[in-house]
Amino acid sequence: MVGYAARRLGIALALIWVVATIVFLVIHLIPGDPAELLLSQGGVAPDPAAVAELRARLGLDRPLLTQYASYLGRLAHGDLGASLLDDHAVAGEIALRLPRTIELIGAAGLIALILGLPAGTWAALRAGSAGDRALSGLAGIGLSIPVFVVGTLAILVFAQLLRWAPAGGYVAFARDPARHLIELAMPAGTIAVGLGAIIFRMTRSAVLEVFGRDHVRAARARGLTRTRIVLHHVVRGALSPVVTVLALHLGSLLGGTVLVEFLFNWPGLSGYLVRAVEARDYPEVVGIVLVISILLVILNFAVDLLYAVLDPRVRHV
Amino acid sequence: MARRAAPRAVRLLLAPGALVGLVAGVALAVPLLPLGDPIRMEVAARLAPPSGLHWLGQDEYGRDVLSRVLWGARVSLAVAFLSASIAGLAGIALGLLGGYFRGLVELVTVRAVESLLCFPPILLALLVVTLLGPGAPTLIVALAILYAPGYARVAYAETLSTRALDYVVAQQALGAPAGRILVRTVLPNIAPPLLIQFSLTVAAALVLESGLSFLGLGVVPPTPSWGLMIRGARSTMEQAPWLLLWPCLALTGTIMALNLLCDRLRDLLDPRAGVAAGGWLARGSALLLPGIAAPRAPPALLEVEALTIEIATPAGMIRPVDDVSLALTQGETLALVGESGSGKTLTGLALLGLLPAAARLVGGAVRFAARDGTVHDVTMLSEAARRRLRGDEIAMVFQDPGTSLSPVHRIGAQIAETIRAHRPISRTAAAARAVALLHEVGLPDPAQRARAFPHELSGGQRQRAMIASAVANRPRLLIADEPTTALDVTIQAQILDLLAALKRQGEGMGLIFITHNLAVVAEIADRVAVMYAGEIVEQGPVGEVFARPRHPYTAALIASMPDDDDARLTAIPGTVPRPDALPPGCRFAPRCSQAAPACDEIAPPLQPIAPGRESRCLKWREVA
Repeated sequence: MVGYAARRLGIALALIWVVATIVFLVIHLIPGDPAELLLSQGGVAPDPAAVAELRARLGLDRPLLTQYASYLGRLAHGDLGASLLDDHAVAGEIALRLPRTIELIGAAGLIALILGLPAGTWAALRAGSAGDRALSGLAGIGLSIPVFVVGTLAILVFAQLLRWAPAGGYVAFARDPARHLIELAMPAGTIAVGLGAIIFRMTRSAVLEVFGRDHVRAARARGLTRTRIVLHHVVRGALSPVVTVLALHLGSLLGGTVLVEFLFNWPGLSGYLVRAVEARDYPEVVGIVLVISILLVILNFAVDLLYAVLDPRVRHV
Repeated sequence: MARRAAPRAVRLLLAPGALVGLVAGVALAVPLLPLGDPIRMEVAARLAPPSGLHWLGQDEYGRDVLSRVLWGARVSLAVAFLSASIAGLAGIALGLLGGYFRGLVELVTVRAVESLLCFPPILLALLVVTLLGPGAPTLIVALAILYAPGYARVAYAETLSTRALDYVVAQQALGAPAGRILVRTVLPNIAPPLLIQFSLTVAAALVLESGLSFLGLGVVPPTPSWGLMIRGARSTMEQAPWLLLWPCLALTGTIMALNLLCDRLRDLLDPRAGVAAGGWLARGSALLLPGIAAPRAPPALLEVEALTIEIATPAGMIRPVDDVSLALTQGETLALVGESGSGKTLTGLALLGLLPAAARLVGGAVRFAARDGTVHDVTMLSEAARRRLRGDEIAMVFQDPGTSLSPVHRIGAQIAETIRAHRPISRTAAAARAVALLHEVGLPDPAQRARAFPHELSGGQRQRAMIASAVANRPRLLIADEPTTALDVTIQAQILDLLAALKRQGEGMGLIFITHNLAVVAEIADRVAVMYAGEIVEQGPVGEVFARPRHPYTAALIASMPDDDDARLTAIPGTVPRPDALPPGCRFAPRCSQAAPACDEIAPPLQPIAPGRESRCLKWREVA
């Protein structure tokens, strides 16, 4: 187990390096002068003096390898550069907002699991029944509605028409816990719609698949009760594939937070990214993309560990 | 194969295909339709509700909403299709090269693009948008970069498996140039999964395009796009909530149609049929009749009468088990022998009421005498009553201990679980009992083995553990389905010894030993029943049957056994008939060396030929 975890950690660290390198390279791989591109608005050629200043500021006038070395060096110290707009440190802003994004993801994942796992198991045990077909159809819709459509409609229904919850905003947990949770419910619920549908589908097919396995037949031959077989053998065996699929969707889950935070005015990292892109504040954008991508790598690492806990065979691979 | 699948393909793909076709058709035809200008503003009529002139009303700038929804389809789909196609061309090329040439090429193609998968897709798109500024061309570039790795991955994996195929190797041997092999041979073969990837990508690109446009970072206004329309309608949600409806419906509907098309394509092109849930889960199917049957001549332990099982297949109803009758007394070992497909395993499962979902018991009785002396017809018991028998009075050992033990639970826990399912004893007592059982079946260091996971044991050890779990509750009947087939020869002998030893010490446990191996039969069984194509063809005491077989099939089986002093082996010509194409007369007649013309016409009954012996051969007297 320790060896496995160490190997996974090594891979995760290597991936973080790859991510950092790609982010560094993007600006150089785009055809044309990046400084000129960043300053051009609607086809108007930018002022050459401004371009030269931006080049110097981003360090684009130095040799590529020097840039790369200083970039990695600063990164190792947690220095993500300064905003082009107001010169504040990008890292500080990120540190403030990142926990809110993580909280949103965690809440969404929790809601999706609480809904998707039991519903998927229930549907698999009654495969082909009317209830199963209804749930599967619902999941099909949940998978197809883009997250910002869910969010917009949720605002229309719950904030506009029913007036159950505010259309968005944020209150710190320490200041007003109840209010905080109310504000959290809608964005988290919005992300949970698509995620829950994925978990439902995967649980359903995994439970069906595990049911066909020899060891479940053997468990029945040993005279175990139906409840015990379902909870202890089938669902337990179905968890690993569900976790795997969840891991595959982590990327779009994190991406979904961009739209949802923007939509609900959730002051997390992802929504902030939209403003940074609008302002074409390159250091700010790079910093946020980097941090969220590293977060994805870390989440994947956590999933790998979870996988080993769920399936003892993995620990020896 | 493609021809046979055609009607099903049409049925499955018709609805989603028609929907996607409709949307694409509208997108293509939109300039020809008599629609208002989608970008002409009429500020006086802003947020006007639907009218005769503007069927879906007018938006926040007084533009015609119907026209914008339809033009929006054009823009959104154009971006999605173009980026999916460009990504496809690039990704497939990289994947083909990487999968075909491997080595360094693989590293710089597949592995390099795969690193893009480390990013959440929308972030990478936003990074590109920051540099290039928003707009449809930027979007196409960004999405193409984003989705190329997906194709590369699929193309790479499929190429790897295709390049090893005989006809690809043959072409290489003939000196065909690599480019030609890739385009003419490999590409068509890997097309189906790539087709699925394409439709998946179009749907994903559509979602991302609309999402970015919604953020104001995708398509630039005033160009109509569904994402932009939702963005616009959001700001006027209070005055005109209906404006949200149309673009949301159009977008979600299109994505749903695409997703459905993907699912159906996958169902069609991926032949792995869905596994149905076990029939035992279907509530209400269990007959809730009291399990005590009329007291006929009391069976010693087990009496199977005219057991018949049917399975519905695409080729029609088949009967893999047909009119099988068996009897077993306490302490007796019956070997059920036959080739694969003879129905012996299904017979064994039916005794426990564990038939697979597709199989149906259509007739017969399985009368079992329980410990308390009552006789139950297992086929008539409720599922709950059957469960109480299983693992307690009747236990089963399966062929492959590697898959029949739960991989995620410890050995000792699985045995303890069997005990606690039937006995009200404490967790610790059950655990101690599990260790004792592991000791009993001859596992060294049982206390430590009890804490092991199945994959940490060898095949023979796993089968011992499986047997320990089966005999945990001292069953009256043990059914062993090919328990030694998956094991090494030396281990086989040990397992047989173990079963024999368990029988000796028990209070007369009956054993049904299912096997295709006659040599094993001679070693372990008291009586033998030979099955062929779903029927019992001969039954009798082992010594007598081996000395004087009374059915040509049995005789042929014995003749095909490797013998110590006689090196000659006689193989049985032909193969077992398919269950959907059984011969009209004797089922063995086509392969029988002694068949007479009558054998092809008359299906012989199983007839008693001596006390305790039966044969299903018209000419049993003449069998040599």
